[in-house]
Amino acid sequence: MNPDKETIAKSLLDKFVKAGADDVIININHDNSSQIKFANSKIATTQDWTTAKADIFLAVNKHLVMTTIKDFSEKAVYDAVSRIMKFANASTPNEDYNGIAEGPFTYRNIPETFDPKVANLGETSVDLTESAINAAAEHGSKRSAGVFESSTSSSYLITTNNAEAADKSTKLYFSFRAFVDDYASGHRVCNSRVLSKFKPERIAVEAAEIARQSINPASGEVGVYDVLFEPLPFSNLLAQIGEASSIFNVESHLSCLAGKLNSKIADSSVTITDDGTLANGFGSGKFDAEGVPTQKNTVIDKGILKTYLHNTSTARKHSTKTTANAGLISPTPFNIVFNNGKLNKEEIISGIKKGLIVTNVWYTRFQNYATGDFSTIPRDGLFLVENGKVSGAVKELRISDNLLNILKNVVAIGNKPEQVFGWEVEMPVITPPVLVKDIHFTKSVA
Amino acid sequence: MDLDIAEFALNHALKLGAKYADARLETTATNEFILKNGVPHMAGFERVQGLGVRVNASGCFGFASTNELEKEKIRQMVEKAMKITSAACRIGEPADMSEEPVETADYVVKQRINFEDLSPKDKLNVLFEVEKAIASTKVDVPGRFFSMADFYTEKYFINSEGTKILSKIPRYDFWYFITINDKGKTAQRYWQYGGAGGFENLTAHNFPEILKNEVMKTDEALRKGITPPKEKIDVVVGPQVTGIMVHESVGHPYEADRVMGREAAQAGETFIKQDMLKTKIGSYAVNVFDDPTLEESFGYYLYDDDGVKARKRHLIKNGAINEFLHNRNTAAAMGTKSNGASRASSFNREAVVRMANTYVAPGEQSEEELIEGVKHGIFMKNFMEWNIDDKRLNAKYTGAESYIINNGKLGDYVLAPVIEISTPALWSSVDATAKNMEYHSGTCGKAEPMQAIPVWFGGPSMRIRNISLSNKK
Repeated sequence: MNPDKETIAKSLLDKFVKAGADDVIININHDNSSQIKFANSKIATTQDWTTAKADIFLAVNKHLVMTTIKDFSEKAVYDAVSRIMKFANASTPNEDYNGIAEGPFTYRNIPETFDPKVANLGETSVDLTESAINAAAEHGSKRSAGVFESSTSSSYLITTNNAEAADKSTKLYFSFRAFVDDYASGHRVCNSRVLSKFKPERIAVEAAEIARQSINPASGEVGVYDVLFEPLPFSNLLAQIGEASSIFNVESHLSCLAGKLNSKIADSSVTITDDGTLANGFGSGKFDAEGVPTQKNTVIDKGILKTYLHNTSTARKHSTKTTANAGLISPTPFNIVFNNGKLNKEEIISGIKKGLIVTNVWYTRFQNYATGDFSTIPRDGLFLVENGKVSGAVKELRISDNLLNILKNVVAIGNKPEQVFGWEVEMPVITPPVLVKDIHFTKSVA
Repeated sequence: MDLDIAEFALNHALKLGAKYADARLETTATNEFILKNGVPHMAGFERVQGLGVRVNASGCFGFASTNELEKEKIRQMVEKAMKITSAACRIGEPADMSEEPVETADYVVKQRINFEDLSPKDKLNVLFEVEKAIASTKVDVPGRFFSMADFYTEKYFINSEGTKILSKIPRYDFWYFITINDKGKTAQRYWQYGGAGGFENLTAHNFPEILKNEVMKTDEALRKGITPPKEKIDVVVGPQVTGIMVHESVGHPYEADRVMGREAAQAGETFIKQDMLKTKIGSYAVNVFDDPTLEESFGYYLYDDDGVKARKRHLIKNGAINEFLHNRNTAAAMGTKSNGASRASSFNREAVVRMANTYVAPGEQSEEELIEGVKHGIFMKNFMEWNIDDKRLNAKYTGAESYIINNGKLGDYVLAPVIEISTPALWSSVDATAKNMEYHSGTCGKAEPMQAIPVWFGGPSMRIRNISLSNKK
């Protein structure tokens, strides 16, 4: 971390304290990200983003203000302090606010979260993209689209309660969709914090394989099916569980987990953790938004809901301890992890009498967040399984079901987990393929 | 804003050999407030300033942005953009731009009551008034989540052809999410109101009255609602439902970059092909427009982020596909002119083809007359859950406040009726549109990284003949 940023943060903190603030958190970040976007097997554009900013949280007599400043000149900082204090004093107190964490803390390094090879990737990203496009073409893809993204960031956080922490991070993200024709496509993503575990060419080939198997899909039949969710679509649903585990969403009636603490909400084979300390975890980091060292929390243990996710203030309100998931307004997961099973995919498929393999979903929307009633649309390869064998591709079906039913109806868990983060899954999730029984499918009737 | 910074970036790109370059210097000042279950959870503000530069190097386009506005940082950013764009062009898709007039403009949306002149308490009070109105209904509403934000965006666009556009647009955004409880059964509703203008535009909506009515109707529907009919029926949908239908199944699939496959891995493609222009997609009663120039609208602008003068677009004309939404790249690729649909959500995002304010044109009858023309059916006034596949061909709309229609009159409430329908079937089944125009607000998502942009969508009530409801077994 640039020492200038530390000096700025400490100076800002000092100015706010002198101006009368009770609690202050300053988090200074610098980020550089690059993207290659490709479509029709050609690079459509390149993008590069640089951002330097200071996120500021401030409490004065329970008046809370959050802001971001980007200009660190002496005059701009002076103006910002004056404006923020004025804004805080003119706002209305939050009687639910119960303070920030008491430091100091000791932080441990999380393996595989920074790789200088990623930071210095440069034009190698073009070569990797080209290799992936070519590999997919060799496996039958007629055209491909996607993005290759790399980012490097650093952060420095300091609080009035003696937390002081620094972290640096690299990330790689590759999203690849292969097409054989308009109705035969496959989509895969890979995410890694280090170059050695990043396999864009492999997922491009896998996407092409799915696309090739999807040729000439039949119109799917409405009904109830056992469904083998590949990691990509199951991550989409698990991200909803991650959102639902935040106490902020529980209090807002935006969660189907509300009122179910210590109740059985899932099959006994289901354990879901949130782990901010996971090696190579896409969301891993040393500390949360108030400087508390990250930890591993078991949200669902063998089917029982064990905890919601908290920051210090919400934990004090609910007479519990922070789970180190600040979000200063809404606690948020780092990496949602579904437990690993013992079966390989072929073993799971061989046990399905009438089912579907869902390789991707999109547009998940809820009729009622509190009950978990939702629908989502399978896209890319969707395969019918009859008597333990894949019998063909189908299309134009919609999953119309309930999130809690899905957790309760888990019947088999795969043994090959994948990390997913991307356009449809905005929260990092690690999950193997999972078989869920009795899922309702609907379709257009006209 | 120091406008010279944009000129500096542009000139540096040209000096480095760019065939074309443009620069967008932008400042957005935002104030935001959240009231959750009667408790103010956040007051926040920020001022975001930065510069985005697009270059054409070796025939291909690339984009870079920074919020570090010192000349040396900008010099580095432009050099990096030129270098990576040239390198990527080895396997890139060379792109052209349609020929467009050079434009010079400076425009401002005026506020009678300026958001900046109000205190945080004044703004939070809007949310507390809604809280009070809900309490007055005596309905059990355990979940009450409201947010309100105002934004002021100053944008300076210049390009290497000489276009210079300076705009100043204030916008507001109000959002609610409520949960109604009746003996353990719940129903939820959310909606959004936004526009361009001052505080007077925001308060003109009368949110306390809207929420009071919403709470009472949702509660009644929850308590009294019956199962939807299973047989084929006629459906009248209200303007909110018309709005989401036109946004999802006309606006998005008519974006020319989707037609060309540029969004294939993210926001998806479209069942519409270039050669479907002028072919029939709906009944004669269907006319759809997209118009960025609607005053006070959430999607308002007069020049797009390619510097092209905005105009009203006639997407469906008497049931036939009439035109797509274009930026300069897609227009050149399809041999036409841009119609000013290039938008970026911020200085740090590339401009792509987007909607602005998309709506179904009104007809001659009243909503009551449409309903009177139905012997047996339902009226779906608004909705909760919806989605559409990534070709924009099959959509689902689940009703919230909905009623049975019997012999032309509204009857019982109906619980969560579901329309699952293909896009051609939907627009071919519309036999009449009413004259009760309404515009509603949304935050539309597209591109990667996700770009959320303000839009309106709307229209009048529409009558859809002879369709089946949900087929869930």
